[in-house]
Amino acid sequence: MTKAQRRVIQAGALGIIALACFSEVKFRTLPGAIVPELSREWYLVLADLVPGSSFVLAGLIASSLRPRNRVGLLMIGVGVGLLTRNAVLQQRVGQMSVPAEVVLHFVSPLWAVLFLQLLLAFPGGQLVSRVDRAVVRSFYVVVPLAAILAVVVASYPLLGPMGQPVFDIKSPAGLIYFVCLVIGSGLVIRRWFVGGRARRRSMSPLLWPMVPITIFFVLSVAAVLGVLITPVPLVGLKNFLYSLATVFPLFLVALPVGFLVGLLRSGLDMSSVGDLVVKLSGGLAPERLQPALAEALHDPSLEVAYWLPAQEWFADLEGRRIEPPAGDSERAVSVLGDPSSPVAALVYDSALVHEGQLVDAAAAAVRLALENARLQVQLRAQLEEVRQSRARLVEAADSERQRVERDLHDGAQQQLVTLLLSMQVTKAEAMRHSDPETAMLVDANIATLRDALGELRELARGIHPTILTQAGLVPAIRSLTERCPIPVDVIGELGDVRLAPPLEAALYFVVSEAITNAVKHSKGRRMCVSLGRRSGLAIVEVSDDGVGGAELSLGSGLRGLTDRIAAVGGRLMVKSDHAGGTTIHAEVPCG
Amino acid sequence: MPERVLIVDDHVGFRRLAGRLLKEIGREVVGEAGTGEEALSESRRLKPDLVLLDIQLPDLDGFVVASTLSSEPQAPAVLLVSSRDARDYGPRLYGCGALGFMTKGDLSAESLEALLGP
Repeated sequence: MTKAQRRVIQAGALGIIALACFSEVKFRTLPGAIVPELSREWYLVLADLVPGSSFVLAGLIASSLRPRNRVGLLMIGVGVGLLTRNAVLQQRVGQMSVPAEVVLHFVSPLWAVLFLQLLLAFPGGQLVSRVDRAVVRSFYVVVPLAAILAVVVASYPLLGPMGQPVFDIKSPAGLIYFVCLVIGSGLVIRRWFVGGRARRRSMSPLLWPMVPITIFFVLSVAAVLGVLITPVPLVGLKNFLYSLATVFPLFLVALPVGFLVGLLRSGLDMSSVGDLVVKLSGGLAPERLQPALAEALHDPSLEVAYWLPAQEWFADLEGRRIEPPAGDSERAVSVLGDPSSPVAALVYDSALVHEGQLVDAAAAAVRLALENARLQVQLRAQLEEVRQSRARLVEAADSERQRVERDLHDGAQQQLVTLLLSMQVTKAEAMRHSDPETAMLVDANIATLRDALGELRELARGIHPTILTQAGLVPAIRSLTERCPIPVDVIGELGDVRLAPPLEAALYFVVSEAITNAVKHSKGRRMCVSLGRRSGLAIVEVSDDGVGGAELSLGSGLRGLTDRIAAVGGRLMVKSDHAGGTTIHAEVPCG
Repeated sequence: MPERVLIVDDHVGFRRLAGRLLKEIGREVVGEAGTGEEALSESRRLKPDLVLLDIQLPDLDGFVVASTLSSEPQAPAVLLVSSRDARDYGPRLYGCGALGFMTKGDLSAESLEALLGP
């Protein structure tokens, strides 16, 4: 909308207020007014004029403050609608020509549809959801037609003598009007509950005036239903409603103020951008960037997704892949930077969707910091990739060890076993044929073959211990300690649930290497393997009472174990001094 | 004293040679099986006194077969064998209902006779 068009609308709106005031004053001061029971008291004059006028004035302020936002125009529309309705209420239309009266009756209930549109479009000014758009469009047709039907055909007015809406559900038109009200209220309530904090923050100033208005509507409906159900009129409730109807316009006055306040609260104001810039100048760590933006945009649900060009996907601050949602009625997405090579994407409450300029201003302020953060995220993503690749390598190596062990078992070991049994049969036959010389010769070969088979078995076990796969980590460790020449105590447990195979393998080889080292170098007399599970970690500690002197930097064994434990996300520590022996502590995350 | 033996192993060569050794010590080999399922059905059909059972079979685990057999009425004695040794199986060897375990490398007429009786 151009500036000139806005000026025309603003001038027109003011003109309508002036016309309404003039008409009202003239009508009230006419001798023999058409509604004599209302009297000509001035507070009633104000009560008729003020709600519509305040909507128009608040709308004018809103449209000049936020010229791109349609909320101002919608408020003006509601105000004009209320003033028109007032004319209908005073039955001045009776003095008009019939076509003019029909047009006025057609237009007058539109304020209610405009009001619903305002509620559903607030604070952005546009209807984002398809459902909202469809409902509002259909109401623009159904509600005026129902009003015409009520007045022209069924002679059921929609407004009471005090200006309060009348939901006479005994009439078809009233029923349509009532159904529209229920659907509209449902949509507004849903919008409140599914909206994020940003939306609620901007809608909250509407709550106070809306509460008595809603109570009034509910009681009106209750009164009508009460009359329908019981023959005795609910006199007390009706009297209460009439008194509430007297002050009803005052609540309508509070509404436009609420809209105006909510609109001003909805977006990012320049002071919050200023605060953001001040924070940035003081140096803002990447992890503080998202909270700072969320604070500046008054949207705690705001998320930043960083674009990783090498991977061609978005990631969070930790470098983990995330998929920003497609913009919908609840969440909006703004991609920052060149679309072919974006820097980041902001995902925020759709209440801010029409504050594009302000979101852009905040984004521009943090652009450099976002670039820096993205580099960090990229680095983290690469590190994560390296970590995963290392874990995959270790896993592949474990699988390969397992395969080699199986091949040895199924191949060479089986053949040697067959050969051994064959020689046992030969020996038995030689014995049966009383040929002890042959039997002795075969027996010597059997002994050699048995040694070879034993060595092959040890080799296979070193490559991958079958017991680890068959029975789990604890039995595998116990089996290791049973073969150890130094006495080893095994204390503690790792629970009933087995660890993942890569974790079991990593911890097993730590114990195996630690026992081998202790036997070779520690000169200790006793060892202890301690097992435990706490705070989501599986912990294995191997200690000896030997001479100490072990260091991570010395020898490739401990270094290799450190890498292996790190590959599964754990850590390995070595404590070794000459007085207290050596303790190797390994812990891995086990969920 | 077990007289009638069922040999279960997926290697034909092992079955043949183990059969020869058992015959040397006067046992009757009543049947052979190459899989765990076959072992169960042959054992139920032939009702042997002893099943010489390899742990690693192509379908069922030898421990599972031993456990199933030992829970049946007129259960045969089960001697588990493997080319791996007892340390490779740990606690799984106990509580599966088997009479004992022997590595295949230790199988001989003497060792079988010592275990099963003359």
